[in-house]
Amino acid sequence: MDPPALLPSTITRIVTLAEFKPIASSRAWVSIPNPNGLPLIATATSDKTVRVYSLKNFTLHSTLEGGHSRSVRSVAWKPAVKNDGVLSLATGSFDATMGIWRRREALGERGGVLNTDFEGVGQDGDLEVEVLADGEVKEPLQLRNAKDDVESDSEEDWEFAIVLEGHDSELKNVAYSPSGQWLASCSRDKSIWIWEEVGEEGEDEFETIAVLQEHTADVKCVCWRKDDGNGEVLASASYDDTIRLWKEVDGEGEWGCFAVLEGHEGTVWCLDWEPEVSLKMFHDAETELAEAPRIPRLMSCSADSTIRVWTLAPAAPAPNKPSYFNPTIPSTMRAPPADEKWECTATLPKAHDLPIYSVSWSKKTGRVVSTGGDGKIAVYEERTKGRTKVGGEVEREWVVLAVLQGGHGAYEINHATWCTRFDSGKTKDDEEIVVTTGDDGVVRAWALEEENVVAAVRETVPENSTIEEKVDGVMRGLSL
Amino acid sequence: MGSAQLDNANPTILNASDLPSHRRRRQGRDTSSKEHGVKEVLMAKPSYSLDPFYLSDFSDTDSDDSTIEPIDEQEIYDLIAPISDPEHPLSLESLGVVKLQDVHLISPSDLTNTVALSRVLVELTPTVTHCSLATVIGLGVRVRLEQALPPSYRVEVKIKKDTHAQAEEVNKQLADKERVAAALENANLMGILRKMMEPCLA
Repeated sequence: MDPPALLPSTITRIVTLAEFKPIASSRAWVSIPNPNGLPLIATATSDKTVRVYSLKNFTLHSTLEGGHSRSVRSVAWKPAVKNDGVLSLATGSFDATMGIWRRREALGERGGVLNTDFEGVGQDGDLEVEVLADGEVKEPLQLRNAKDDVESDSEEDWEFAIVLEGHDSELKNVAYSPSGQWLASCSRDKSIWIWEEVGEEGEDEFETIAVLQEHTADVKCVCWRKDDGNGEVLASASYDDTIRLWKEVDGEGEWGCFAVLEGHEGTVWCLDWEPEVSLKMFHDAETELAEAPRIPRLMSCSADSTIRVWTLAPAAPAPNKPSYFNPTIPSTMRAPPADEKWECTATLPKAHDLPIYSVSWSKKTGRVVSTGGDGKIAVYEERTKGRTKVGGEVEREWVVLAVLQGGHGAYEINHATWCTRFDSGKTKDDEEIVVTTGDDGVVRAWALEEENVVAAVRETVPENSTIEEKVDGVMRGLSL
Repeated sequence: MGSAQLDNANPTILNASDLPSHRRRRQGRDTSSKEHGVKEVLMAKPSYSLDPFYLSDFSDTDSDDSTIEPIDEQEIYDLIAPISDPEHPLSLESLGVVKLQDVHLISPSDLTNTVALSRVLVELTPTVTHCSLATVIGLGVRVRLEQALPPSYRVEVKIKKDTHAQAEEVNKQLADKERVAAALENANLMGILRKMMEPCLA
């Protein structure tokens, strides 16, 4: 038997950080961090409301209520193009409508959640904030004082600005495009609607740009890809087990499906696009010849308990060839967009044994977190394996860094997301936490603890054990 | 509902004496918080509260909670057997839709581990292969079990192989938590479910 390898290794643990208070009395579906650098996270719950929590102290900041007659299933922050002191959220509900909400955010009051750390920038005048292309705010964000300083938070409530109707049945997901130009909604009615806000900011006029109806069952998720010169692309996931990619095909508002991703053997629940950090990470490793930026990969998770990574295949099929995916007679009404072929190029190591409801790809670290019906939270990392032949492509592999069982006790977890850390325990800039949302109505924050060890870890772990046992085994072996 | 044209106008009814019968075994327990909770939910609270996870107080008020007595297949069967068919005033048990041998349970080896999951699979035998109400019956069974069993039980309800023309579609719907959650916010469907559950409260 070989002596155990004494390798320096890092053990990652998922440790509980906080529970957001107060908790909801019924199932919570999803929690979305504010994309504009504000320490806020919005949770959609089956009690027909959305709770906005502070990420600084894990308490309730404000509540959106009275707009929907059934569960609020999803929520999306409008990306801020400039800082005008207005928060805007879109909500999608089982009542088949989408709501647009606004709230004037006041600063400089004691007790205000937002003011504490935005000191030192300007006074109370307007402050233009440069928003980088990936939605991150460049400068520390300071919100403008509202007109009346005396008004308390409770008086400045969320205003239910407009209700958008059109879908025939439950909305499953809503998402703003990164530029803020478009808003997508998807429903059990098999369709995806793309909306555009027209007129001046705050006039609340929306136009339906497109209704996309090629899925054959419920559309569970819509997820936008940042404009990389080809326009903003929308990915959708469905109960029909497929993923479709959509874009504006003619520059005149005509939208079409240009790729169908088939392979999952169950409902596809959630999608996330590869972040820039990951694109760059492997761009460098991949030699000099990769001059052109790669097309981001897409990650998907499914009721089939797998997480897959999809990549644009190098050569597109000839334009006139009948599409493998679309054998029907092409519509004479519009020119079909040039089809792209996407392939499943990786399946993440198995960490779940029930439907996986949520997957999130970190914009800061390129790591991935997933969760689902088994109540587990799993964190993965993609690593370089090296070249198999000289001059060949650098191979990569996904590894499981940590698995935590029973993240919400015995309950199912509906959502997990990476989120910038804002609380007092933060030790470095850009530190991230994981936030999970469960059937118990609870929203939890988790930190990743890493410990460098030099140990014969492999010795303590049987080779044929499952990932989970491995992680558990490693943890046991190291607990002091 | 469905009275004009029944899917199966003349179903086979099983003799009561042929049915598995230690339902009274835990009579003392059945009047405890679980039953009370179900009744409360069905009778009083707003519709979304039939959401199985809304009603999550499984404080074990059993008199003998010093010993953990694991839940078995019979007990699970007893929870769903009295549910009445939406079409006939008869129980799922007497119509042969639920059968004790089609209730499967996998319990974790360590019962003291509160986050270890138990898996329940119930296979239903529709009275006719084209029964349009199979989904509603399946929904009733799933909801009943999710309410009555502790949250660590993951319930799967399926149509037994070769007993229904659209078995796969029905199975997929019943496995989709989002569809189930949305169905429970539908007032019409809730009316039907409430009626089906009435015998469970007796």
